[in-house]
Amino acid sequence: MNWWKKLSELLSAANHHHTTTGTKDEAGATLVNHWQRGVPVYSERVVTPTLLFFVALAAVGLTLALVRFFSPLGPFSGMNDAYAWGIWKTFNVMTLTALGSGPLAVGMAAWVFNREKLHMVMRTALVSGFLFYATGLVALGFDVGRAWNFYSIVMPWRWNAESAMLEICFCMPVYCAIFLLFENLPLVLERFYYTGTDETKVFLRLCAPGLRRIYPFMITGAYVLPLMHQSSLGGLLLLAGNKINPLWQTPCLPFLYLLAAGVCGLGFVTFLLLMSALRYSRPLDLGVLGELGNLLSVMCFVFLGVRFIDLIWRGQLRAAFAFDKMSLLLLSETTLILIPAIALRSKIVRQTPRKLLNMAVLACLGGLFFRFIPTTIAYMPARKASYFPALPELLMAVGYIALGIAAFGLAVKYFAILPGEIKDWNYMFKLVRQRHQAAQSKGETPWPASLSTR
Amino acid sequence: MSLAINRRQLLLGIVGAGGAVAGGLVKSAVAEEHPAHPVAPPDAVSMLYDNTICTGCRACMTACSEANGLPPDTTCALPLDAALAAGLWDIPTDLNEKTKNIIKLYREPGGTDFAYVKRQCMHCLDPACVTGCPFGALQKGEWGAVTWKSSLCIGCRYCEVACPFDVPKFEWDKWNPKIVKCEFCFDQRLKKHQEPACTAVCPTGAVIFGKRANLLAQAKQRITDAPGKYYENRVYGEYEAGGTQVLYLSNVAFEKIGLPKLGSTSLGHYATKVTSVIYKWLSGPILLGGILYAVIKRNWDRHEAESLEREKQTGLEDQL
Repeated sequence: MNWWKKLSELLSAANHHHTTTGTKDEAGATLVNHWQRGVPVYSERVVTPTLLFFVALAAVGLTLALVRFFSPLGPFSGMNDAYAWGIWKTFNVMTLTALGSGPLAVGMAAWVFNREKLHMVMRTALVSGFLFYATGLVALGFDVGRAWNFYSIVMPWRWNAESAMLEICFCMPVYCAIFLLFENLPLVLERFYYTGTDETKVFLRLCAPGLRRIYPFMITGAYVLPLMHQSSLGGLLLLAGNKINPLWQTPCLPFLYLLAAGVCGLGFVTFLLLMSALRYSRPLDLGVLGELGNLLSVMCFVFLGVRFIDLIWRGQLRAAFAFDKMSLLLLSETTLILIPAIALRSKIVRQTPRKLLNMAVLACLGGLFFRFIPTTIAYMPARKASYFPALPELLMAVGYIALGIAAFGLAVKYFAILPGEIKDWNYMFKLVRQRHQAAQSKGETPWPASLSTR
Repeated sequence: MSLAINRRQLLLGIVGAGGAVAGGLVKSAVAEEHPAHPVAPPDAVSMLYDNTICTGCRACMTACSEANGLPPDTTCALPLDAALAAGLWDIPTDLNEKTKNIIKLYREPGGTDFAYVKRQCMHCLDPACVTGCPFGALQKGEWGAVTWKSSLCIGCRYCEVACPFDVPKFEWDKWNPKIVKCEFCFDQRLKKHQEPACTAVCPTGAVIFGKRANLLAQAKQRITDAPGKYYENRVYGEYEAGGTQVLYLSNVAFEKIGLPKLGSTSLGHYATKVTSVIYKWLSGPILLGGILYAVIKRNWDRHEAESLEREKQTGLEDQL
C-alpha cells in the first residue's frame, strides 16, 4: 500500500489537518472551525410559504404521474419515435443524478483520499444525493411504458448483462434503496435516539456497534455502484452511434460522464452548503468550503483534460472550433467549467463565499450542459423530427424536483444535517428542555414538534 | 467393461477435465461476443430489395398488415384532400406503430427521376437494439430474425434510441404499449417454413426471400451483369453497421432514399468493447471494491480512534 499512501499524500493539500475542532492557520493563529457538528435547524417554523409552494408543485407533478400510470404516454409527453427519450430520462435521470453524485465525490474524497475536513459535510451530500436519486427513480418509473414487467430484475437469468440499460436498472435502485439509505440511517437513528423513550435508547445503543462494523463495507459498495452506473449513463449513448454529434459521441463518453458527475457532485454540495448557510443564518467554515473548492478545481481540470485529449485524439479539434451551433455549445460548456477550474486555484476566490458560490454554480452548469447536450440538442435522429416537452411532461419533471427540494427543506429541520457549531447543538437542547417542561406543566405532549417550531 | 480406474487414470482424467473447463473459460474470454465485423451464420435468412424492379404497387404493405394483423393507419398528417383527411384510407406516411413495412417514393428535387424504397427492419447481424435491450425482450432468434417478446419488455424505448435505421416503433397511444417492428413474419410464417408475406406476394420479384449468402451472390451478379446501373455498384447491407440480413440494390444514392450512411463496424462492438473487458465476470468492480475497501478500512479505523478521542473531549456522540 506504499504507492497508495504516496498518492493520498500527494493529493492532500499542504494545509491538511486531522482535527475538526480547532485548527491553526499557516501563520500559527488558532482559528475557530465553525462547522463542528450536524445541527438541525431548530429555530425556524417547519411550515413556511416556500415549503408549501414546493409541496404544491410536487403534488401537481405526482398527481399527473399517477394519472399517467393509468394512461398512455402519448398525451402526457412530447416524445415521439425519433426522440424516444424525453426530459424525464435525459434531464431528471441522466443529468440531475450528476448533481446527486455528492455522496460519491465528497465521500470518496473523505474516506478514500483522506480529506478529513469533508466528513463534516457528508450528511448534506448524502441527503441531497439520496433525494436526487429517489426522485430520478420515480421519474424513471413513470417514464417506462411497461413498468409491470420490471419484476424481471430479480430474475438474473433474464438479464442481458451486456446492456448498459440493465446495469442502470439494477445498480441505481440498489444504490439508492440500500447503500444511500444505509448511509443516511445514522442521522435518522440519531433523532430517534434523542427523542425516543429509554427502551429506544437501549435498543439503538445495542444496534450501534453492528452498524459501525458493516459501515466500511457499505461505503465501499456505495462508491463502487455509482462509479459503475454513473459511467453507464454515458455508456447508454454509445449505442446511439452517429445519431449523436461526433463532438460528443466518443468511446470516452462513460468516463466523461463519470468525471462530470464528480464536477457536479462537488459543485452542488458547495452550492447547497452556501445556500443553506445563507437561508438558515449559519456561520460558514471557509476551511471546509475552501477544500471543496480546491477539489472542484482539480476535478474540472481533469474533466477538461480528458475531454480535449479525446477531441484531439479523434481529430475533432477543428470541428470544436468551427464556431457553428455545435461548436458554440461545446465551447460554452467548456468555458463554464474552465472558469471555475482556473478561478478556484486562487485562494482568495476559495475563501470568498460569494465568489465560491458563483464558481460552484458555473461548474455545476457546465457539468449539466455536458450531460444534457448529447441526449437532446446534439442528438440527431435519422428522420426529421422535433421534440419539446409537453406541459404535463414539464409539470411532472418540475414536480419531481420540487419534491426533492421540499423533502430537503423538511429534513434539515428534523435531522442534524447541516453543519453548525457545538454551542448551537447545546443551545438547541437547552431550548428543547425548557419547552418540554413548559409543555408538561400545561399537559401537552411536546415531542417531536417542540424541536422544530418556534 | 471394467469400471476399475487406477489412480493414474483418475489423475489424468481430473487434469483433462480441468484443462477442458479452463480452456473453455479462456476461449469464452478470448472469443468476442461482439466482433467488429460479424459473420452471418449459414442459415441466416434474408431479403433482397431491388428498387429498379419495384413498381410501387404496395401489395407487400397490404400483405404485411394482413399477416401481422395490423390496423389500417388512417391518420395521414400530410395536407391531402378532404377524403384522406377524413380518415377513410389506409395511408401510412412512414414506418409507425401500425406499419411494419412501407413502400416510399423518392423524387429528385426539381427533376423527374424517381425511385421507390421498401423500409422494414433490417435484421442486423449484430443488432444494436438486441445489445441494448435490458431483459432480452428483443432477441435474434432462429435464422437471424430479430423478434420482440412482450412479457420481457419494460417499455424503456432504448431500442428506438439504439437502432441506426429508425425502425422500432412504440405505441404512444396505448396503455399497454408494444414495440412494433418487422419480425420477418417469424411467428406468422417463418416458423411454418413459409417465406414472409411481403416477399411471397411481390408480383415483380422486386423483393425476394432466400438465404443471405445466396441473395448476396445474386445481388452481386446483378451488379456484374449491368455495371453502372446500381449506385456505387454495391449492395447496401453487406457491411452497414456490421452487416444486415436485408439487402438493397438501388439506382439512386442510398442516403436519398432514407438508408443512412453507416460505418462497417457493428454498434454492439463499439458500445461493449471496453465494458465487456471491465465487466467480465464482474472482475473490474470486484477488484475496485477490494482496493477501495482496503483503503477505506484503514482510514475508517483511524477515524474511529479520532472520533473516540473527540467524544472524550466534547462529551458528544460522534456523528457519522
